[in-house]
Amino acid sequence: MFGLIGHLTNLSHAQRVARDLGYDEYASHDLEFWCMAPPQAVDEITITSVTGQVIHGQYVESCFLPEMLAQGRFKTAMRKILNAMALVQKRGIDITALGGFSSIIFENFSLDKLLNVRDITLDIQRFTTGNTHTAYILCQQVEQGAVRYGIDLAKATVAVVGATGDIGSAVCRWLTDRAGIHELLLVARDAERLDRLQQELGTGRILPVEEALPKADIVVWVASMNQGMAIDPAGLRTPCLLIDGGYPKNMAGALQRPGIHILDGGMVEHSLDIDWQIMSFLNVPNPARQFFACFAESMLLEFEGLHFNFSWGRNHITVEKMAQIGSLSKKHGFWPLLEPSQRSGKLVHG
Amino acid sequence: MNRTAPSSATLDYRSDTYRDAYSRINAIVLEGEREAHANYLALAEMLPDHAEALKKLAAMENRHFKGFQSCARNLEVTPDDPFARAYFEQLDGNFQQAAAEGDITTCMVIQALIIECFAIAAYNVYIPVADAFARKVTEGVVKDEYTHLNFGQQWLKEHFVTVREGIERANAQNLPLVWRMLNAVEADTEVLQMDKEAIVEDFMIAYGEALGDIGFSMREVMKMSARGLASAPRQ
Repeated sequence: MFGLIGHLTNLSHAQRVARDLGYDEYASHDLEFWCMAPPQAVDEITITSVTGQVIHGQYVESCFLPEMLAQGRFKTAMRKILNAMALVQKRGIDITALGGFSSIIFENFSLDKLLNVRDITLDIQRFTTGNTHTAYILCQQVEQGAVRYGIDLAKATVAVVGATGDIGSAVCRWLTDRAGIHELLLVARDAERLDRLQQELGTGRILPVEEALPKADIVVWVASMNQGMAIDPAGLRTPCLLIDGGYPKNMAGALQRPGIHILDGGMVEHSLDIDWQIMSFLNVPNPARQFFACFAESMLLEFEGLHFNFSWGRNHITVEKMAQIGSLSKKHGFWPLLEPSQRSGKLVHG
Repeated sequence: MNRTAPSSATLDYRSDTYRDAYSRINAIVLEGEREAHANYLALAEMLPDHAEALKKLAAMENRHFKGFQSCARNLEVTPDDPFARAYFEQLDGNFQQAAAEGDITTCMVIQALIIECFAIAAYNVYIPVADAFARKVTEGVVKDEYTHLNFGQQWLKEHFVTVREGIERANAQNLPLVWRMLNAVEADTEVLQMDKEAIVEDFMIAYGEALGDIGFSMREVMKMSARGLASAPRQ
């Protein structure tokens, strides 16, 4: 049994989903109420691999909302995720992916001191951030997207915005080792981390975002919400492939211009329909098949009986692990999403 | 909730402010344990087949009472008993009335579900910020409280078909009281660095799990455990 721990985009989205699901007690209340609301296992999932193997899972809504971080309520945010983790563990779920901010929280806080939740000691072996698969899918979106949108990778400059994060640094490693790109531009806020990354990679040019974007044929945006900024479409190259792996995914609404191709970054499409309800509340064009690569990682681990924390901590993702999860992804019928984004910016991120 | 590193370094347990708040919180805990002792004895009368088990639970509550008394003595605090009695008056009144009417379901919901879940939540949140002596005592108590919860849960589960409506009624009548009680001591719990939000969330988790196990659907559990929460008056 696999698990997915997710959350919604913001309070009004959460209230709308609660209303649609018929949970009026949750629909009508403000953030204070959501800060106290316990996690809920709200959906059961059945997914079939192209190999024919069938597995089952559960979706747990953590009741975490990004506003909690925006308002500096870190303790609350952390408690939401820990309680959701305790719930999946109590339900005997073998491997669970932490969606969106759930994993970002653990990249930035030390989990080791927080493993005791009431009468449960969390077994972190049962949880994965899903970041290895997300990073792999982003790289596939770079490679396959370039072919699709007429960009020659051997001559291409690729900017990674949010380069020093867990996913961003993994993308940089892959692009350096495997993708054969012309030049890599590294964009992030922390100069020290950028220097370390550049040393590790042995390549890459560090630039501020406003200088990097006009030079890039491909932009991989994996910066978190706080780093969000207005991008001037007039300053981008033509063609330009923008892979929006950020949160929330809102580039498509803001950057409409011929020659700019925007992909929903870190998202996969499964070859077969998935039996689940929860995704229909999220704004994806084909909710029966399209979803977040991090969630897919727990499914892949379940298919393979690999019940351990394949992705954990920060900056541990190797190219070899990306290749490993990538081959499992292909084996079970997942593809990187390559259709242009049509969203307006309302979904959970994985 | 034992999930954050103890912040006791920032708490002065001997300060007047701390001891003043503690005099009310400790008194509430003592009154809760004293009433629990009496309530389980009352239930033992009502359920002769389970009298022995219930008397054991009552004895356990008495030990908890003594343990928490020693916590007050350790900090040289005099518990504010009149405050605590007034604090529990309405909830205890509801229990006494149900007991007088032989309404076992309501008695079970008040004592074995609501009070136990609330105690578990509050103790779990208290443990990381407690002084070393009280932490040890409270850790021991929490382990026991889970067994009390189990007893009531089991009984209500076995009689679910007949007690279902009674549980819903007792929930609607008493849960809003609990939120009001919690709000009434918010200032004191803040002094003790007990996070109210965490207490409520822990309560809803424990209570929701119990209701789910007893037989309610997830939808019913969400409705019941949130009953009256948002509209509970603040101090």
